[in-house]
Formats: sequence, C-alpha cells, structure tokens
Amino acid sequence: MNRRVVVTGIGIIAPGAPNAATFWDNCLAGIAPVSPIPAHWKRYADYASTIWAPLPKLDFTGLGISRVEQMQLDPSSMLALCAAREALDSSRISSTLKNEKKNTYSLDGLDAGRVAVYCGSGIGGLTSLIFSQSFHIVSPLAKAFSHLRPLLSGGEVPFPEARLLVDAASEDIRMPQRFNPFIVSMTMPNAVSANIGIKYSVHGPNTTVSCACSAGTVAVGQAFSAIRGDRADCALCGGVEFLGDEFGGIFRGFDCAKTLVNPGNDPHSANRPFDRLRSGFLFAEGGAALLVVEELSHALRRDAPIISEITGFAETFDGHNIMMMDPEADQIRRMLHLLVDSAGLTFSDIDYINAHGTGTVANDEIEARIIDECFGKKPIVNSTKSLIGHAIGAGGAIETAVTALSIAHKTTHACKNLEAPVRDLNFVRTPGDFPIRKAITQSFAFGGHNAGLVLQEYRG
Amino acid sequence: MELVGNDALIMARMAKVIGEVLKPGNQPLTFDKRFKEDLGADSLDIVSLLMALEEEFHTQISDQEAAGFTTVGAVFDYVKARAALAHS
Repeated sequence: MNRRVVVTGIGIIAPGAPNAATFWDNCLAGIAPVSPIPAHWKRYADYASTIWAPLPKLDFTGLGISRVEQMQLDPSSMLALCAAREALDSSRISSTLKNEKKNTYSLDGLDAGRVAVYCGSGIGGLTSLIFSQSFHIVSPLAKAFSHLRPLLSGGEVPFPEARLLVDAASEDIRMPQRFNPFIVSMTMPNAVSANIGIKYSVHGPNTTVSCACSAGTVAVGQAFSAIRGDRADCALCGGVEFLGDEFGGIFRGFDCAKTLVNPGNDPHSANRPFDRLRSGFLFAEGGAALLVVEELSHALRRDAPIISEITGFAETFDGHNIMMMDPEADQIRRMLHLLVDSAGLTFSDIDYINAHGTGTVANDEIEARIIDECFGKKPIVNSTKSLIGHAIGAGGAIETAVTALSIAHKTTHACKNLEAPVRDLNFVRTPGDFPIRKAITQSFAFGGHNAGLVLQEYRG
Repeated sequence: MELVGNDALIMARMAKVIGEVLKPGNQPLTFDKRFKEDLGADSLDIVSLLMALEEEFHTQISDQEAAGFTTVGAVFDYVKARAALAHS
C-alpha cells in the first residue's frame, strides 16, 4: 500500500512578501511588486526590459542568521534557511539549540536520519561568485587607478580629460573589500540543501535539484517519492533563488535572450501572463518556498496541521532545445498523462491548475493550448508569476505552496493583468470561493524539463 | 591591566566580534588568550574572525599580518596601531 504524503508546513519569501502570511494576503489582494531595476545596473548596459520584482529588505540577523553565517552564506542559502524556519514553525516542529558557535539546531521529536532535504535552485550561489570574482579581476585595475589619479591632478596636466575618464571608470568599479575565502561553499549549488541539513542536524537524503524553472517542482516531487518509497518520513523541500547580482549581469543574460517583459508605458500592467499583449516574463530578484511534507501517520502522530495531500508527481524531458519549448509539446502532454495517472485520476477530476504561466509569447500559447486539449474549460487556471514575476528555481516551489493554500482555503488568486486571454480557458479573474479539491501545478524549464505535481484536499 | 579611553573602546569592539564568532562563553578575554588553544577556534573560525575584524574596524588584513594573530593581545596591538595610523 502506498504511503500517503501530506504538506504540513509552508515558509515563503517572495517579492513583496517576507513571510507566507503576507505573501498569501498579497496574492488574494492582487498586490504585484514592480520596480525599476537598480539605477547603477544601467552603467553597464542598455536593457530592453527595465523593471523587476524586488524582494523585501530582510533583517537576516532578526531572522536568526548570525554574523558569521551572513559572511559565509550566499543570499540563496540565507533565504532558504529563513523559509525553512518558517515552514518548521508553521508545521509545529520545534527545535533545540545544538551548537551555539555554529548556530545549529536539532529537531525535537523527529528521527534525524529519516528527515530529508530536497531543494531546487537554478543558479545556486552564482551572485556571490560574481561579486567575489569582481575583486579578483578588477582589484589590480583599481590599484592602478589609485596610482594614476594623483599623476593626473594638479600642476600641468596635459590631458585633463584623462582625469575625468579615470574618475568615471572608477565609478564603475564595484567590488567587495576582499576575495571571500568561503566562495567555494557559497557558490556550489548543493549549498542551499546542505545548509538546511546542517542548520537542523538532519541526516536523511539531501539533494539540490538544478533544473532551472522546474527545480522547485521537481524537488517537491523527489521528496514526495522519497517518503512514498519509505526512504524518509519527513522532508524539507522546495526551491530557492537569488538573481540580484551586483552588476545586473544575470538580468542582462535573460534580457539579451529576449525573454523579459517590455515595460511599455505602464510598468504595473506590463506583466500579463496568458494575455494577448504579453511580451515576456517579469524578472524576480529571487524568492524561496520551503514545505514540510511528511508521511501521513507521522503527521497524525504529532498532531501536525495538514494543509493538503500530495498524490502525484511526474516529469519528462523535451530533448529538443536548451532554451526553446518544443512547439508540439509532446513531452508536456506526456508528462500530464503520467501525472494524473500517478495520482489515479483523470483530467476531468482536476478543479484547479496553477500554470507555469511565465508571460512569454511561446510558453503561454503552448501551455494554454495543452491545458485546453487535456483539461478543457472546467478547471480554473491562474499564474502566480502574474503577481511576483519569475523566480526561476524558486518558482515551482512557490506555486506548489500556492496550490496547497488554494486547496486549504478554497480560494485562489486572480491572473493579474489578464484582459484578453490567449485562449478561452477558465482563468481566475477575481478571487472568490472555489470548491478546489484536486489540483495540479506544472513547470517547464530551460533545458527542456517538464514537471508537475498533483495536490488534493486531505481527507482522513 | 585595566584598559581606559580608546584602548577600552577597541577592546570592547574586539570582544564583541570574538564573542559573535567564537562564542567563548564567560571566560575573561585577556591579552594572553590564544585563539586556538584557549578559545577553541578551528582554522575556519580564524578566517571568519579575520573577516569580522576587517568588517568591524573597516580595514584590510593581509595574510602575512593574519599569520601573527595567535592571541587576543596580538590582534589588539594591530588594531590599535591601525587606529593610530588612521588618525596620524
């Protein structure tokens, strides 16, 4: 008999939201944080897109991340730790300080060897590497400028323009005070999962899933599979991403690839997944969603709050193109068949689809067509990216959390800025009472990774 | 030895940093305390301590200078000399 797997805790940090409660309130209120990109990024390039969805300012010290940890961890790991802490709290799993110097804990009442960690991330700690590499590459230049500047000041200066040029070039030099000696452990993608495992002294399977925009979904799916397969009783799983490097270079990469939203005349209505006037996705600075998932009897024994049940997971791979979706979408179609089969359901059973819904021309056209073909017009459909943009490796995990919360609260958020749908589907136009019992969330990624989860109302 | 004035201020800031990084407990932080033997620091703790000291005192510590930082007193002397240099 299959072991049942339930979601009992959720922690979220997302653009405009430092915690899950604020995030959910923002979703239902249709609050979509959009800001101009940092002004200094424009020193390095002209961009087609000039807006993003920034994270809120976080007081990491107040959130329990020590001074030493803040020096040694990439923001992606710190976001993961904060979301994990919130997920554990909401799941009513308490912890006890184990090592004061290391600021590590043990989880009360849990068998540490049966607690797994699966966390998705697209780029791991790349932003820290970029910043530290700037010191490595640019510090000799800064030193040369510091020698050159006095030579160009005062007295007879044959080329005063030279001084102006050196001053201007110096303004472009941004680098940390030193090359960070922890850069290896900050950069490696597995750090996001490893740091959660270290923080809570757990010893079950511990893996970082790196498959771009599907990473969070696959990570939850792997946790589901591990618990169902009796390799763990409980898991912290989800996804995390931090994309706001010092120079805007990651943003530029997506911008050059023509994937980002055109801000147009009104930046606040520019991000419009599934709308005929969509132009690309809104770049999110980052985000994190960690879920506590556990085997049902494990959850019942400790009287955990059960938010929803995970009943299915499937993944396929396009084998088509590293950046382009296969227009035929054969492997997305196959993934969806495998997905509902894995939960013992049919397409007609599904009440709600939390779509990938990026806002790119290709994704939304293909995704809407496949939804129509497989599910028809019955299920309600929304795109969480219409609110918070695209946080790559965190996206699928945040959307899994939205799906779980939508089932629990029997409501969900609207598809922001959707006026003229690309296809006649049952898009959520305003939040309302929806009898959501069975839902799916799906993700498609650069590389060609397609993944989906089935979540259902928990019934004992 | 009781420190006064600027010396006391430097020592208080050093004690804060050492406390945050090494968590030495209640033992008094005297000049003769050795980071590894007396305060339980491992090699990664020493690197963290140097980074925290750089941040706290807005300075850059070279590897050669850092090699001599075996005791609390050695770090105090370094910070004091740097502070004097900054104000000269």
